[in-house]
Amino acid sequence: MTKKSMYFKMIASALIRRRSGMLVALLAVAIGATVLSGLVTVYFDIPSQMRQEFRAYGANFILVSANGEALGAAEAEAAVACMPASEIIGIAPYRYETVKINEQPFMAAGTDLAEAKKTSPYWFVSGEWPEADGSVLIGQEVADVIRLLPGSAFTMTGTDPQGEAFSRDFRVSGIVQTGGTEEAFIFMSLADFASVMGDGGFDVVECSISAPQAELEAIAARVTERAAGVAPRLVTRVTRSEGAVLTKLQALVFLVTAVVLLLTMICVATTMMAVVAERRGEIGLKKALGAPDGSIIAEFLGEGLFLGCMGGILGVLFGFGFAQIIGVNVFGRAVHFQAALAPATVVASILVTGLACLIPVRSATEVDPAVVLRGE
Amino acid sequence: MRNGVLNKVIAMFWRLVRGALFRQKRKMLMIAFTVALGASLATAMLNVMLDVGDKVNRELKTYGANINVIPKEASLLDDLYGVSEGRGVSDRHLRESELGRLKTIFWAFNIVDFTPYLNAEARMSGLDEAVRVVGTWFAHREDLPTGESLDTGMRNMKSWWSIEGDWLSDGDTDAAMVGGLLADRAGLAAGDAVVLESAGARRELTVKGIFEAGSAEDERIYVPLSVAQEMTGRPGLVSSVEVSALTTPDNELSRRAAQNPKSLSVKEWETWYCTAYVSAICYQIEEVLTDAVAKPIRQVAESEGTILEKTKLLMLLITILSLAGAALGISNLVTAGVMERSREIGLLKAIGAGNAPVSWLILTEILITGAVGGAAGYFAGLGFAQIIGRTVFDAAINIKPMVIPLVAILVFLVILAGCIPSIRLLLSLRPAEVLHGR
Repeated sequence: MTKKSMYFKMIASALIRRRSGMLVALLAVAIGATVLSGLVTVYFDIPSQMRQEFRAYGANFILVSANGEALGAAEAEAAVACMPASEIIGIAPYRYETVKINEQPFMAAGTDLAEAKKTSPYWFVSGEWPEADGSVLIGQEVADVIRLLPGSAFTMTGTDPQGEAFSRDFRVSGIVQTGGTEEAFIFMSLADFASVMGDGGFDVVECSISAPQAELEAIAARVTERAAGVAPRLVTRVTRSEGAVLTKLQALVFLVTAVVLLLTMICVATTMMAVVAERRGEIGLKKALGAPDGSIIAEFLGEGLFLGCMGGILGVLFGFGFAQIIGVNVFGRAVHFQAALAPATVVASILVTGLACLIPVRSATEVDPAVVLRGE
Repeated sequence: MRNGVLNKVIAMFWRLVRGALFRQKRKMLMIAFTVALGASLATAMLNVMLDVGDKVNRELKTYGANINVIPKEASLLDDLYGVSEGRGVSDRHLRESELGRLKTIFWAFNIVDFTPYLNAEARMSGLDEAVRVVGTWFAHREDLPTGESLDTGMRNMKSWWSIEGDWLSDGDTDAAMVGGLLADRAGLAAGDAVVLESAGARRELTVKGIFEAGSAEDERIYVPLSVAQEMTGRPGLVSSVEVSALTTPDNELSRRAAQNPKSLSVKEWETWYCTAYVSAICYQIEEVLTDAVAKPIRQVAESEGTILEKTKLLMLLITILSLAGAALGISNLVTAGVMERSREIGLLKAIGAGNAPVSWLILTEILITGAVGGAAGYFAGLGFAQIIGRTVFDAAINIKPMVIPLVAILVFLVILAGCIPSIRLLLSLRPAEVLHGR
């Protein structure tokens, strides 16, 4: 009992009396732990955060009808229900029909414009996205051919699928540039589209889902199984390339993390060694007074354990703060706290600190106390 | 006389420095080692950070072309309705012979790949409707006007295609690649023969490969460009060119320029023209190809910009963290190193040394140690940077000379920051107390 209380008394007094030395050591451990927990949190969060950014490439999953007819709203909903709701960035259904403006044929597309903005963030709209009834987005090609500007009005004519002729006035709210075939389309809300074409199913449903290729394939399998009449297809150009680039990015962050961690840990260890090596005199004195090597080592390990623990806890806090700064500044989203990382960081700091203490303490205990005390 | 004393003082000073460096080998080695670690970390991270934009940009090329070049006044009727002949369709083309000029523009170095397409309609044996036949370069060696040569073609640009069978080569004038959906409908497999008929001419081709592209291309047949030119009777012509270029993310200036380059002032125009914005590259492509319109494919161009910016910012923040970590680590150890020498400083002061010489003595010792460590660390850091570059990108990281002064200044400042407070603290102590050991 007394031996135990003496042990703690020695550790406590070492920590309190040698304030500057201990502070240096604590700071070193805390820095190491901050780098460790910060970088590892970022490393684990990168794939999901980056995957969200890759959604800038647009839809990676489309639903079409399996039997060649239009896709009913109920079928589409059944298919969407197979997707993980939290990973859905946007789901934009499209209907296409040929219409005429000034007797020239164009393709009109009806869609949920708010969702289309999410699935196709790369659209460059000069003017405004349509808000009111009767306002539409037109592609650059269409605008060039019939010379329309945002704000101008035009009349759309044509026949609906039942063969009845219609004519309705629309207003151009914006012109869309994509560099692709969308530039030859006229985009309007589903309600406006239904007002001229009548109700009907969708030709294609574009989905933007933040998930890796394997998961998308699993979703496709689920859709085929549960939603009859729906044929899911992966947009391979987007999914494959995303996989390739993300793997590289993750490997980059992994290697960087590994290099930084290795160097930081060595740095922490050298500082610890310097702090402990300074106390050779103390070790010599204890040995001269008759302390066995084991109890000296245990004492220093106890100090190391305490320092590692405190430094680790500080590091977990600062590290998460740093990861949060990265998340907010780079991706505009909070990062997830990796619960398992907190104990891992503390254990790692204790291990590094303990090992770093052990080396100089052992070398000091191995030497004859008289030599140590003389200061050689 | 005065000179003699000064010389003696200087000689003594260096003897003390040398003495500290050699007698306290272990301690100084430890400091040098830590400085080396910190410097190598800084070097590696700065080099990787400065080069990561370029490297990731190249990786993003797997998304394919970001610029599409078509003839002026070509209509999209073809793309939309498959109407490529007859009334209302302008019969305009680009010249194959001019394509080499793409590598002569201001940003020629940024053009990674390009490939031309010539579209044709043909009847296929066993199918009622007409199919789209596209002639292209698969793996073409183009001799450039500059005397160099360039390997380019579709094979590089469609990395996401999965092929059953083999890619075509440009010499395979009696072979074709068929899209997966079309092959399913016509019941074709790799190795089968297919007969194409257009404008009265018949051509029998072997299916060398069947590809899955996951888009409209799955309904098409790809043949070497010369075959399509023969079939359509349009020798030396192509209908469009896809270009894959390394670009700088768009900003306000480039958006204004994209709307109308003439709206810029002379200075702005020069900045725009000499920056690798996608709009500037498009403009330069239009300058070298007759009657061509180059349009950015926004899906690729815009997204590249977003991802590049995010990646760069991410690396910047990680670099800042590791630099801060390295800086604190070094200055921490230096502080510990100085504090440890309280007895020595007390002794120096007791035998009459002033504050200034003592401070200079310690600073010089540690700076020399730090310089040696920093130099070693710089080269080690280059090694780390190359390991990262080779492993992740299969390419060497460009070494930026700018990193040398950055690391040197960092190490210098960090050592000063670590030394000065501790020296001040020690100098404020009274020699007798320090020597007494408390």
